Amino acid sequence: MVDKIKVKNLSCYYNKKCVLESLDINIEQNKILSIMGPANSGKTTFLRTLNRMNDFNVNYLRKGEVYLDGYSIFCMNMENLRKRVGMLFAMPIPLPMSIYENIIYAPKCLNIILSKSEQNIIVEQALRDASLWDEVKDRLNSSAMKISGGQQQRLCIARILAVNPEIILFDEPCSGLDPISTAKVEESMIELKRKYTIVLVTNNVKQASRVSDKTAFFLMGKLVEINKTDELFVSPKKKQTEDYITGRFG
Amino acid sequence: MIKLSPKLSQKLSYLFLFLATILAIIPGVLIISIIIAKGWSVFFTLKFLTSMPTSGMLKGGILPAIIGTFLLVIISIFFVLPIGVGAAIYLNEYSKNNLFTKIIKLAIINLAGVPSIVYGLFGLGIFVIYLKLGVSIIAGALTLSMMELPVVITTAYGALNSVPLSFREASLSLGVSRWKTIVHIVLPNAIPGILTGAVLSTARIAGETAPLLFTAVAFYTPHLPHSIRDQVMILPYHLYITATQIPNMEENRIFATALALLIIVLSMNFIAIIARIYFRKNRKW
Amino acid sequence: MKKNKDVIIETAIFMCGMLSIIFVISIFIFLFKEAISFFWDYNFIKFLIGKNWYPNSNKPLFGILPTIIGSFLVTFGACVVAVPIAVMSALYISEIAPKGVRNILKSLVELMAAIPSVVIGFIGIRTVVPFVKFFFNIPTGLTAFTGSIMLACMIMPTIITISEDAIHSVPWEYKEGAFALGATKWQTVRRIVLKEARPGIIAAVMLGIGRLVGETMAVMMITGNSANIPDSIFDPVRTMTATIASEMGEVVRDSAHYKALFAIGLVLFVITFIVNFIADLFLRKK
Repeated sequence: MVDKIKVKNLSCYYNKKCVLESLDINIEQNKILSIMGPANSGKTTFLRTLNRMNDFNVNYLRKGEVYLDGYSIFCMNMENLRKRVGMLFAMPIPLPMSIYENIIYAPKCLNIILSKSEQNIIVEQALRDASLWDEVKDRLNSSAMKISGGQQQRLCIARILAVNPEIILFDEPCSGLDPISTAKVEESMIELKRKYTIVLVTNNVKQASRVSDKTAFFLMGKLVEINKTDELFVSPKKKQTEDYITGRFG
Repeated sequence: MIKLSPKLSQKLSYLFLFLATILAIIPGVLIISIIIAKGWSVFFTLKFLTSMPTSGMLKGGILPAIIGTFLLVIISIFFVLPIGVGAAIYLNEYSKNNLFTKIIKLAIINLAGVPSIVYGLFGLGIFVIYLKLGVSIIAGALTLSMMELPVVITTAYGALNSVPLSFREASLSLGVSRWKTIVHIVLPNAIPGILTGAVLSTARIAGETAPLLFTAVAFYTPHLPHSIRDQVMILPYHLYITATQIPNMEENRIFATALALLIIVLSMNFIAIIARIYFRKNRKW
Repeated sequence: MKKNKDVIIETAIFMCGMLSIIFVISIFIFLFKEAISFFWDYNFIKFLIGKNWYPNSNKPLFGILPTIIGSFLVTFGACVVAVPIAVMSALYISEIAPKGVRNILKSLVELMAAIPSVVIGFIGIRTVVPFVKFFFNIPTGLTAFTGSIMLACMIMPTIITISEDAIHSVPWEYKEGAFALGATKWQTVRRIVLKEARPGIIAAVMLGIGRLVGETMAVMMITGNSANIPDSIFDPVRTMTATIASEMGEVVRDSAHYKALFAIGLVLFVITFIVNFIADLFLRKK
């Protein structure tokens, strides 16, 4: 298995308070790694560090290294990094424009495509890959703010796909969704891992067991355990992991 | 002292507060109605608005003053809008929360508080004398634009700030650069607020006299301005001199001048208020 | 290439932010430059507390005490009239008026704030001035008192708007807590809301004072323009702003008189700077 991302001794701080402590983790290509843990365990901080979304925050500080295909992400051009590492947020954030414009927005800004027919192809492909095409194909020009929450979240996935990234980060993508929408988002996630590497942050233990190949358990800013999902859920090595997945805390 | 029951004391206090509100609004309403009542007859002889003053301003119209006011206001907003919006973008999108930012914000607050007559002195010192622009439209417009700057910055800052942070994050996370995010996401959603603020500050400027006393105005010009280096007549100053310095001025003509000024200023404010209500209702998020 | 464009634009934006600092400093420098050359020849203390302003006599005197008193008197009078009424109506608009009425009142107040000061001055001359003269039976209606009344009308909308914001931003939970304890709405408003909104209201008053001190056209038209120390509020006065406005047009450039007017401007600048700074401190306290 190829490791897409290697994290070496990464520590993160907010206001000088340590929220993530000397983390070492490898993320395999074309697999889903889920990161679970209770609130304030540093999951989201880790995820936002992977595409440097925290860099504008003045209170944020980090040490250590993250390598993408062997190159340090902190030495890369930030826009290029984010193009390669897409991120889906907890709440669906459609931009205030039409469905079509939402998807074509980033490719346009990044000067990837020019002709109208090429745009149409990209929009259709992205929406199909996010399994949203059938639901919205007749109203591509209506406002993205008017579709349902689950559809919005899949639209956001499609928007990321349109940039053609290598890795997609999911930050508790279903926390605001009903079970049916959640199932649909999970479905598309499993579809996506054929082409992309996926990191999923969740505080839903069952979701981690349903979709992921590997699972990591974070607690209080530390990596407690990481293993193949089937093994971790059947025979956790650490007491804390067992307590968490059996619902004794968290 | 008699102790009132809570219910009764509430009723009494409400009554007092209501009366105070009426008292606060009456002067404005009175001022506006007096001016309309005494000014409209002359005002609606349209010749008053469209002709040059004659016989030492005792006769004729106020056309040059109207044109002068519009010229100053338009030129000044032309200067101030890009700078003000730029500064607001810097403060809201780029600045870090450090001492330097605090100094900028303090500077803006103080610019907003500097008395208009002091702007007049400053305009005289820098534009009229130092930059040798003379008493002219351009010197007056520049003085006004400095006066408008803090207002434009503050309203634009508020408009930018009201665009949700999540839109920016969504755009940045797609690999779109910061500047392109601002141009394509933040600005389009902030433009209604920015324009409303610009109209409001323009309305305020249109009624200003003090900063223009030594930088732009003329007591009387026999013709309309030919270039931006000319002196101009403006409505507020015209009102001031006809009300205080010209004896035998026909009362209704002064009131008509006041009415013209009031209509310009209030209608701009009115447009801004309506626009704000409209945009709030139709906000996309 | 694309990156360079972004960098250039971002630098330009940074410069826009810088401009406001540059402007404040340059205003100060331009006032200070003229003022300092004035104080080179004329004692600063004599300037501040001198009782006589005779700029055109053979041995000119530049004492601005009468104008300081004039500014202070008019500002103080306007505050006494405007502040209670304004704060009470802000309370009414924010807490008591039904929502529809509230929006209408707010817009109305905003429109009133836009009436230019020349118009206020003009209406003052035509209405309040003769009334004051007749009612108090004094030789002229152009007095500090008249000025205070008209300025109070002018400043009320500003104070109302800012204090209304402060009152309205008191969190609902605070009021809910008081209601839960059985307080009537008025008790809640008086004890909780008013207390919480106090810094904002004080800031509103300070900003109002700043504007009053700097107000020019209306005071020049209705306070009588006499540079003597007034005996009472029913005497004509002249403010610092009116002195600059009425004399700058006629002075010889670079004369002592010209520089003295800039020195008054500097005093005004410093006063409003301090007042606004205090207002800002209170606004931040929220």
